[in-house]
Amino acid sequence: MAIESYPQLDLIFSAMGDPTRRAILGRLALGEATVAELAQPFAFSQPTISRHLKVLERAGLIEGGRDAQRRPRRLRLEAMKQAADFIEPFRREWEQRFDNLANHLTTMKPGEK
Amino acid sequence: MPPAFQSATDCVIDRASHTIRFVRDLDAAPAQVFDAWTKPEHLACWWDATGAPLASCEMDVRPGGSFTFVSSSNPDHVFSGVYQTIEPPHRLVFHANGAEGRLILDRQGDGTRMTVEIDCGSAAHLDHYLEVGVDKGTAQTLANLEAYLPELEATAA
Repeated sequence: MAIESYPQLDLIFSAMGDPTRRAILGRLALGEATVAELAQPFAFSQPTISRHLKVLERAGLIEGGRDAQRRPRRLRLEAMKQAADFIEPFRREWEQRFDNLANHLTTMKPGEK
Repeated sequence: MPPAFQSATDCVIDRASHTIRFVRDLDAAPAQVFDAWTKPEHLACWWDATGAPLASCEMDVRPGGSFTFVSSSNPDHVFSGVYQTIEPPHRLVFHANGAEGRLILDRQGDGTRMTVEIDCGSAAHLDHYLEVGVDKGTAQTLANLEAYLPELEATAA
């Protein structure tokens, strides 16, 4: 099965691969916020933030709220969960492996060559 | 009793450098961690995520030397590749499954900060790697994603 069949996974990972956008997601995890509110903690103009929001929207990670005047943005938890679900088994396998390694290191004698 | 050094692993997917990066702090010197990665009698004890010792663990730790790790829980689960760079006790580079694996060990206090990078060479390969590497539960996730596509297109329109 070709990964090309799932273009929005590409959009999700790509959207999350930027520190400013991750910070925006982090802020939205606390509750919905307007562009002005989102721009405040960053040294960016509102148009710059709007561009980041557009990327996040395209990936389906956020959506506009009901208030048409303020257009507050909020997280789409479904999309966040899909990205997390995709990585989770992979991450868990390595985490388990590293737990095993940490345990094994305690059984090795220090300085053992 | 939980192991004394249990700690979380940081996992970052960096699409810009098409790399999956794990960072883990370990309570052992870099030389010891390096041995755990490069001596079969050690690696066989921890490599398999199930915790079961490997059924087979062969390694020729030289640049160009190959390695093959076979899981005892699933004999079809074979991890094999070729070592590229061996710089004890700080760096080990290998090629496996079309990706470059990098082990970087930095001394941190009495312990070691271990960084494991899986560099897939391209963003498309990274997606593919995740798709192949994440076999359990992935089918359902992808089904969910597919179901979600029309909705995304509708919002984008």
